[in-house]
Amino acid sequence: MRSFVSGWLWACLLWVLGGACVSNTEGALVEFDVAAIGDEASKTFDSPLGYRVHLEKAHIFIGALYLNQSAPGNYTLETSCILPGIYSAEVRGGLRVDALSEKRQAFPLKGRGTTEPSRAGEIWLSSGDIHAPHDSTLVLEVKGEASKEGRTWPFEAQLSIGENRAEPPSNPALPGSNPICKQRIISPIPVELELKNQGLLLLKVVPSAWFSHVDFSKFPEENAPPYLFKDKAAAQPDNALYAGMRAHSGPYFFSFEERSTETHTTEIFEEEK
Amino acid sequence: MLRPFRFEGYSMLWPKVFFAFLLYTSAASAEERPEAVAPNPPLEAELQPKPETTTKAAENSATENSATENSTPENSTAENINTENSATDHAATANAATNNAATDHAETNNAAENINTENPAQERAEKEAGLLPEAKEVLPGQLLKEEEEVAPHPGEREEGQAAQGAEEAERKSLEKEPTLSTVVRGKSIPKSRGAGDFQVEVGPLAWVPRNSAAQLLTLAPGILLTNEGGALHAESIFLRGFDAREGQDIELWVGGFPINQAGNIHGNGYADLHFIIPELVDSIRVLEGPFDSRQGNFAVAGSAEYRLGLGQKGMTFKGSLGSHGLRRLLATWRPTSGDGQSFVGAQVYQTQGFGQNRDARSGSAMAQALFPVAEASSLRLFSFAYFGNYHSAGILREDEVQAGKKGFFDSYDVGQGGDSAQLGFLASLTGREGAFRHEQRMFFGFRNMRLRENFTGFVFDLQLPQQPLHGQRGDMLDKTSKSFMAGASGYGRMRTQLWELPLEWELGYFARVDRVSGQQTRLLAGTDIPYHVDKDLDSVLGDIGLYVDAELKPWHLLSLRASIRWELLAYSVTDNCFVKEVRRPSSTNPPLDESCLNQRDFGLYRERFQNLSTAGSIFIPKASALLGPFLDFSLMASYGRGFRSIDPEYIGQDLKTPFATLSSWEVGALYNRKGETATLEARAMLFGTHVDKDLVFSEQAGRNIVGGGTTRLGTVLSGRLQGRFFDLSANTTWVQSTFDETGLLVPYVPRFVGRLDGAVFGALPWELLGNTLLARFGLGINWVGRRPLPYGQRSNSIFVVDANTEWQWRNFSLGFAITNLFNRRYRLAEFNYVSNFQATQLSPPPLLPARHFIAGAPLAFWASLSINFGGDH
Repeated sequence: MRSFVSGWLWACLLWVLGGACVSNTEGALVEFDVAAIGDEASKTFDSPLGYRVHLEKAHIFIGALYLNQSAPGNYTLETSCILPGIYSAEVRGGLRVDALSEKRQAFPLKGRGTTEPSRAGEIWLSSGDIHAPHDSTLVLEVKGEASKEGRTWPFEAQLSIGENRAEPPSNPALPGSNPICKQRIISPIPVELELKNQGLLLLKVVPSAWFSHVDFSKFPEENAPPYLFKDKAAAQPDNALYAGMRAHSGPYFFSFEERSTETHTTEIFEEEK
Repeated sequence: MLRPFRFEGYSMLWPKVFFAFLLYTSAASAEERPEAVAPNPPLEAELQPKPETTTKAAENSATENSATENSTPENSTAENINTENSATDHAATANAATNNAATDHAETNNAAENINTENPAQERAEKEAGLLPEAKEVLPGQLLKEEEEVAPHPGEREEGQAAQGAEEAERKSLEKEPTLSTVVRGKSIPKSRGAGDFQVEVGPLAWVPRNSAAQLLTLAPGILLTNEGGALHAESIFLRGFDAREGQDIELWVGGFPINQAGNIHGNGYADLHFIIPELVDSIRVLEGPFDSRQGNFAVAGSAEYRLGLGQKGMTFKGSLGSHGLRRLLATWRPTSGDGQSFVGAQVYQTQGFGQNRDARSGSAMAQALFPVAEASSLRLFSFAYFGNYHSAGILREDEVQAGKKGFFDSYDVGQGGDSAQLGFLASLTGREGAFRHEQRMFFGFRNMRLRENFTGFVFDLQLPQQPLHGQRGDMLDKTSKSFMAGASGYGRMRTQLWELPLEWELGYFARVDRVSGQQTRLLAGTDIPYHVDKDLDSVLGDIGLYVDAELKPWHLLSLRASIRWELLAYSVTDNCFVKEVRRPSSTNPPLDESCLNQRDFGLYRERFQNLSTAGSIFIPKASALLGPFLDFSLMASYGRGFRSIDPEYIGQDLKTPFATLSSWEVGALYNRKGETATLEARAMLFGTHVDKDLVFSEQAGRNIVGGGTTRLGTVLSGRLQGRFFDLSANTTWVQSTFDETGLLVPYVPRFVGRLDGAVFGALPWELLGNTLLARFGLGINWVGRRPLPYGQRSNSIFVVDANTEWQWRNFSLGFAITNLFNRRYRLAEFNYVSNFQATQLSPPPLLPARHFIAGAPLAFWASLSINFGGDH
């Protein structure tokens, strides 16, 4: 009897200890560094429309980054800009990125995420209330010159997203179908990432892609050089640059570099110096 | 002079019953009556440890005058007995004790009832047929017990130890004065269904400080209670690896009244126990696992039943004052005779609560009365009423507390809180005819609940295309549920023989219908203005179960029990807000912010509601085997299936299986030894459970919602040591809960839970003004291991010590209790999910899961003074 009880207790103990090895819930939370780099090749490039473009300045303001577990194409009727439950990473600090520099430009805050696979990325072009009608933040500043067939178009652009970009609803019965927040979010940017702790999330910005569909020849004649892109929907070049900035494929690429836990943030950026 | 109130038959009218109750209670207060043994009064327990048998002095010569002077309802039966057995000698005493100790059959009480002068021939015939135990006498009040079974605890000595029991009883009786009659103290204990069947007498452990009667559940192993909703919000119950929330996975009864609220919008099965006055709880039966045929809907993790009784005789007033503005006033009364099952109690409670926004106030009244209505029948009436109103601090983000933006006991939203009202009535008729006995219950109840809680701040107010543009208006959920419930249950139990082996059959039923209206709206932040309707349901829910249960004893040390239950669940749901979105709405009549739409695609008209109905049935087999006791050990094995009805909101037209099912097994060993000065009971068991549709917490819904399948494996160790001046109870539970699909842990469920309760009590060696001074100390220690949280996180552990001391002199008692003695800052509950409590979005919102917690109570204390009139001092 005694041996039976003793054996039973030992079996119980072993079972408990064995079972205790399974000790995780699904996924894990991770923290990582975040940086952006530009594209020096965009200083001079040929656009698909045959323009040779020389860029002197290309700055974009990024308010926040988010990665999603599922592509927003799977969204239902809802048009909310925020769909809780789909996010796998967030970087909630703003950074004005010099898109012509290939030096790593660190975001002011670390990123947080989960180990769930990320399928899509979001770039928020606002660091404030994403729903606010008014926002004078300059999200894009470019300066350069385009030339084609002996003609040149020196240009400058300073774009913001506020009332100037509000779109009326296509159907008056759907007054919420075009919220301004949609203008401020570039999504879905295709990614295939699995985040790890202490790694580096890198966002590459290729400003040449912003100009892919800009037809400089269609600047209005009265727009004397340097040609200024209008900060609202207007002529083809104005609309094309704005659309190019918001294109979800072409200008922006996410990648993730795994790092050992001993690698510190400063070291990540020291490598570049 | 009060006459016994008897009914000729069962066809009594309710007015008569109420009239009888008034008569009974008024008469009882008017005169002193012969005393019977109280079920478990702390004071009596202290001075006179509870024996299996107690001699009853010749009050009892009472036989002479009882017929005229003391014919109270509760002693009337004893009169009949005593007329025949007035010459009982020591041998007879021992004989009675022998039978009491030896039998686990239920008819002990009623068997005695047949021992009267009226039909001795029938009595002899039944004895010869083996249908009755030997003659014994009973405490008068015994006949009025809710359960007539006098079953021992699992493994308690049975027939094999009859002789030993007899010797012990005889020895005890010889120590006393010669008596004319012997009273066998029956315990109202149903038959054990396995090692996880804990029948816990509160007893001296009532002196361990507890904030509510719900906390008494922690006397059973493995139970953890948390509360994220506020002081009077129903407790969330964790049991055996289940996050049973506020009753969704645990069936709860109070005095036979079903507490789970079917169809409650906050959680199907929501059970609010705050109406229970702790002083009126006599014992608790916690059956961990679905192993009893009487268990029905919601008995997934198990079931718990509060048994009511009042130990303190006479009228008692108790007032308490404490920290955080605590005020409590309690008044109880019970007749000086009887066993405490007739009582009235009422309390008013109020507190400002610790930290921010935790004030609460409530009032509760409970009454119960027992009547004999025929020679072998009794009627029990139980009713209660309760009202509560409270505020809740809700959850806090850990990062904001760490950053100093919020204090540990602060609140984000002071609009959180709730209201609760409950009214219930139950009538229970028990009776016996020969080897057949039965119980029939009828009950009805009205429940109203309102709950306002905000788990996420400003996250889930999604912009729909049909709505005008809006930002986040706030995630405060305002849930209301109004329900009326009526039902009946009962059983008939027959003892017979099969191949000359004892066999018992039980045929039982349960029927209940709930009419529930539930609504969930969202409130504009900082206001009481609803801006959106999430749900609006009117439901009629039916539940009918039939079962047959059999017990065979092929060997005197072996009991085999098996049952089959057939349950039918019926739903009739009117969804008053069926359409919430439309892809292409009418351009002439756009829905805009309207929540419940009366149009479909292209603006075509439709009514806003949709009727949905379905029904489904399920067969639930259960079986258990008990072997022993030998060398004070018993071995047990049990298997059972259970079910849980699903929320009305998940009902679809003709849904095939409107319930979740589970299967569970358990093996265990029990050691039970009664010594000269102490009693020890220890248990160890392994268990496993599989659920096909488990419930998992959703911060968006603020409650548990249906998820995937899960499996649990666990073990329990528990023990209780009781002596003349102490009572110690300790237990620990380990359980592993995993998802079937991934094999990973189910979040939020504690893997390790430990609990220690202890009480020391006795009379001090000196006197004060010629009267003995009694002292009592209680200590409770609760430990909960780190719980798994989503995304591989772990919660903090919980370690809390509570202490209490109470001093009694004459009819005065003074107590002082402290909870969280070491003032540890602990997190009662922790979560990992997305929230954003920035009312103005000055920066991109946090959309990743973050740690949140509910603050546990800091050190709190209260002093209580009670005065008793008419009791024993």
